Amino acid sequence: MPKRTLVIDLDRCSGCDSCVVACKFENNIGLGNYWNHVKPVNPVGTHPNIDMYWVPLQCQQCENSPCITACPTGASYRDPDNNVVLINKEECIGCKTCLPACPYSSPEGNVRPSVRWFNVEENVTEKCTLCNHLTAASDGVENTEDTTDPAHAVPPCVHNCSCGARSYGDLEDPDSKASQVLARAEADGRKVCMIEAEGVMPAARYILSESIAAWRGLGD
Amino acid sequence: MQEATLTRRSFVKAATIAGAVLAGGSALTGCLQQGGSDGGGGGTQVGGRVFYNSICHGCIQACPCKVYVEDGVVVKIEGHPDAPTNLGSLCLKGLNQIHTCYSPRRVLYPLRRTGARGAATAAWERISWDEAVELAAVKIAETIEKYGTYAFFCSVGGGGAYSFMQAMTTPMALGSPTVFEPGCAQCYLPRITEAAYMYGGADQSIADCAVLEPFKGLAPLEEAKGVTQDTKVLVLWAAQPSVSQTAQSGRGMAELRARGCKTIVVDPNFSPDAVKATIHLPVRPGSDAALILSWYRVILDEKLYDEEFIKFWTNMPFLINPGTKLPWLAAEAIEGYTIPADMPEDTPVYLCVDENTGQVAPLPFGDPAKVKATVNPQVLATATVNGAESKSAAQIYRDEAEPWTLARAAEFCWVPEDRIRAAIDLYTGAEVAGIANGVASDMEETASQVPVGLMGLDMIMGYINKPGATMTQNGPLPAEGEAPRPTMFWNGFGGMFGQMYGIGYEVGATKEANEARIKAIEDGTNPEAPPFQNGPTLFAMNQLLLDRLGMKNHRGLYNWCHSHIPSVREAIETGEPFKPRVWFDMSGNKFAVLGSAGAWYNAIMNDGPEFIICQYPMITSFQIEVADLIFPLEEWLEATGASEFGQLNYGFPSPGVIHLGETVPNSVPPKRVVDAASVLLNEKLDSVTFGATGKSMTEMELQFPLGLGVMGGINSEEEVWATQIAAYGGVLGLDEGATREDYLEAAKNRADAYNVTPPDQYWTYGQHLVTANDGLPMGFATESRKCEVYNTLHIKLSRTGWPYCYPRELGPIDPRAGTWGGDYSPICNVPVQKEVPEIANGGDFVAPYDPEFPLAITSGRVYYFHHGTMRHAPFARELYPAPFVRINPATAAQYGIADGDWVEISSRRTQGSEYVKGTGLELSYSGTKEQNTKTAEPIRTIAYVAEVVAPGVLWMERFWNPECFDSSQPNKTGGWQECNVNVITNAIDCNFNEVFGSYTNRGFTVNIKKSERPANVWIEPREFEPFMPTTANEYVADIGVARDNKELLTPIVEFAATEGGA
Repeated sequence: MPKRTLVIDLDRCSGCDSCVVACKFENNIGLGNYWNHVKPVNPVGTHPNIDMYWVPLQCQQCENSPCITACPTGASYRDPDNNVVLINKEECIGCKTCLPACPYSSPEGNVRPSVRWFNVEENVTEKCTLCNHLTAASDGVENTEDTTDPAHAVPPCVHNCSCGARSYGDLEDPDSKASQVLARAEADGRKVCMIEAEGVMPAARYILSESIAAWRGLGD
Repeated sequence: MQEATLTRRSFVKAATIAGAVLAGGSALTGCLQQGGSDGGGGGTQVGGRVFYNSICHGCIQACPCKVYVEDGVVVKIEGHPDAPTNLGSLCLKGLNQIHTCYSPRRVLYPLRRTGARGAATAAWERISWDEAVELAAVKIAETIEKYGTYAFFCSVGGGGAYSFMQAMTTPMALGSPTVFEPGCAQCYLPRITEAAYMYGGADQSIADCAVLEPFKGLAPLEEAKGVTQDTKVLVLWAAQPSVSQTAQSGRGMAELRARGCKTIVVDPNFSPDAVKATIHLPVRPGSDAALILSWYRVILDEKLYDEEFIKFWTNMPFLINPGTKLPWLAAEAIEGYTIPADMPEDTPVYLCVDENTGQVAPLPFGDPAKVKATVNPQVLATATVNGAESKSAAQIYRDEAEPWTLARAAEFCWVPEDRIRAAIDLYTGAEVAGIANGVASDMEETASQVPVGLMGLDMIMGYINKPGATMTQNGPLPAEGEAPRPTMFWNGFGGMFGQMYGIGYEVGATKEANEARIKAIEDGTNPEAPPFQNGPTLFAMNQLLLDRLGMKNHRGLYNWCHSHIPSVREAIETGEPFKPRVWFDMSGNKFAVLGSAGAWYNAIMNDGPEFIICQYPMITSFQIEVADLIFPLEEWLEATGASEFGQLNYGFPSPGVIHLGETVPNSVPPKRVVDAASVLLNEKLDSVTFGATGKSMTEMELQFPLGLGVMGGINSEEEVWATQIAAYGGVLGLDEGATREDYLEAAKNRADAYNVTPPDQYWTYGQHLVTANDGLPMGFATESRKCEVYNTLHIKLSRTGWPYCYPRELGPIDPRAGTWGGDYSPICNVPVQKEVPEIANGGDFVAPYDPEFPLAITSGRVYYFHHGTMRHAPFARELYPAPFVRINPATAAQYGIADGDWVEISSRRTQGSEYVKGTGLELSYSGTKEQNTKTAEPIRTIAYVAEVVAPGVLWMERFWNPECFDSSQPNKTGGWQECNVNVITNAIDCNFNEVFGSYTNRGFTVNIKKSERPANVWIEPREFEPFMPTTANEYVADIGVARDNKELLTPIVEFAATEGGA
């Protein structure tokens, strides 16, 4: 089964929030609604012996997606072609059942960082789609001569990332950009991390070298 | 380009399709997608869209990008993948430009104030362009006729719509010396100027694109040509590229680090670049000069410098005459000394101690391999010359560094000693390294000391004109044996004004050559002289230099032809030495970006300038409070670049792809106003007084506009299109006569519409080693032809105004203004820091501790905004609604402050004080001011409590709140007082940097306490709804077209008065 996701290099991420804004423009997300976040994991230790990093957070594309199990209407589903976890807003009844089921979301979907977000204006739950409307058939290796080329398109949060920290692709496809970046990080001995949560098996991967900071997930 | 005009209906339709109409129905999120609603609400992306290559203007850098236009509306912006540094990235400042362009706070038509000044009473009426130009011209002409030419003044800066050349030359054209910019002395001028003084080359600023070398060879397209990335060790001294230049140098830094480049970051704040640094030195705000001297101490004592470079390419071995503080010349010090025959007159011979003989010896300039045969200059040396004990420049530096052992520096600067040592070892141990020096010191009293110290370090290390260094020069190398020895011309950017009018000494040329140049202008004997270069103009322009406000003490400002800001404010307040009365401001929110903003507000509102003209694309605090007339300017997406914008060796076009209302390029209003005012004034030349001369314009043999007039001034958009087409017509296959329409048709969907300079014509090194036409190596553009680590120009500048004021002279500076025995310091020294927290062993280097203000505060940019821009951008404000003040948990606990609390911050500028006369702490050198520093109420903001700053240190960015004058506010304010750190910064007493007059935006002291949110400040994301782009605006396709539809012409800025307004 395809395992599409983002791989994010935290050695690069500077916490600039450009991915949040790129997402909002691409997906027409209004004020107060968010499909992704950048969580600063503040320093531990005592100044000046400190380290920190930022975790860009969006739907983790879990293998065992509890949101789909919890959804009473089938609005949360997987794309039949590429297995991406999505929400069909036409089917969503705004019951919020999925929110507590998701370990990366706040119970009401309204406290950042919450990967599923409750859109009050439309009475539906929303989240990152990996810009499936652009990327459904893409390997994430962007065609720099034509950034709209569907075989290679990437989400705007990836394209515009100010640090070149974000990669998109199918982890089951060794030629996808995401797989290439992960393989390179592993070859370089850099740490590949997940935001662990019981039983969900997130697909999203984070790279963080010990020399930058010790991985402590989302922090406090 | 699709010329289809956007109507209200089609705009709403586009929004509805995208599911973007929110509760109020008035806002458009992004209007970016076509069709579809599957999960993401997306659909196909290209359809009727076209894109144009452009270059982002969201910050001071310039990221190549693609701008997508659909039905005449910009719908998407993304980074251009071929860009050599941002490599396709575009940060949120760039993305948010859509909201800036279509903001309801745009000014799209000329507006005239109809109510009283002040935000609460602000009301506007729309007038025509002709009326607006006439109104401005009449006000200017009437005032100049009544009070003389010095009654007019200009300002610029603050972010967005820059008009630097126009602002500098508009007052000159009308015979006034007064122009200022809140950046300038507080941003970049000190660094670029010291580079000119010290070696005539590029400075160490990354933000201002002087430092380019580290980002070479990052792009796959360039790697394919064999271009390599050569910087392996980079020192970011008070620079945070990842924040300030997020997608350009920020991306560049991410790439550098990924390629193994090691970094040392000197920053009180745990910035992203500090987080990722190999070594972070969290220096106490304002103490950098001491840290720098500790580096010199180690490097000189342990001989870690580049021996050949320091001996033969710097003036460090020169023996300094203790009387003049200038290097001894062999010809003056050695009786009967004859200058070698092969030494040209423009290249002096100095003295050193010869290490081989221990004797004083002449040190001629030349190829080190040859000079070595006769003399081996000693670096640290003391000798008796003409009876005077004379130290080498290096010895003077070493003596100044004496107090700054690593242990003392650690104590003084709050940095662990072992980290300082590790940083020095990493920096000096590299084959080549480089320092990138950020803006912080420009905002402190050490504005000259820090760049002098940091460039000097790279010089003694020989990290210059080499692959991998930060001080490198770009462009083709001169041919061997053909070019003259380098010289530096003065006044204005790159000596521009000097070259135009002849004023200023050409440093490096002989005295005779300079005299001959002036004489030819005065006599009118140069057949090639342009018409504006003549005796009367030269005299008048020179007079403007002598009379410029603040030049008594702070002459480095001449490099950009700017006045000293606190001196301008004082002149407005006191009328001394003359009163500026009519003000033309050419960008940004002055109340957000000027230090001690309250003092400025009070000066304006209390019998200040009689008429204030503004040009800006937005309504900001400044316009709402005090503008009497506003000219509407284009935002970036409308504005066509007047020239080529670049990123490294890539030039990208900047075509205006849309147009709104009656906006114009920023170079139009100054030209039109000056031309119109000149017509009025030229009828009265007999009665118009030229400044302080007491003579009429007729007696001065002058008429308006003076000299060249408004430089860069244009009458219409067509003129900038011509330059755009000249630069990019080639790659698009356009003829010279092509029009805007031709360009927009040809450039459509052309990702390859850019120019590239071949790498070997751009990345060049060893410029000083090329043989000049006198047979010697080129060397550097200084008097000595060497790197002047000991900055001799400072000494001369402080005494006579040389080289700027040549052929005339200024007297010496007030001795209290100079930190080197009454002169400007030629080396990095540690001036007394005026406001400091409690410091162990601070000694004479700090003023007495003031327990009322125990905390040090500094600032720095955040990702979301550039300068004073974009506080109206809703997607930025919902993420960063207030200028969070960073505070250490230990300090927060001490003050009972928790993360997320609102706090109040106060300083002497909000509490007032009685400064003691005669202690150097007076408010004004002239002593004419009242001794009270209370200018405004304390500010408030939200605490961000984390171990990101040291205990005792606070950090926050400038801010202003455009919501404070939103129609919904019951009590409108200008929004500059609530959360603005510049209310508490110190621009009102005279601890100005000696050379540049820089005041203190950073490294002063404050107090803090828990407080409440101001009622008129928005914090919740949905509160920013009124800032969303709105269909209340109408967008007109062509410039200046006033369509015959009253509804469409409704001014978008409806700021009805709260009460009492019209």
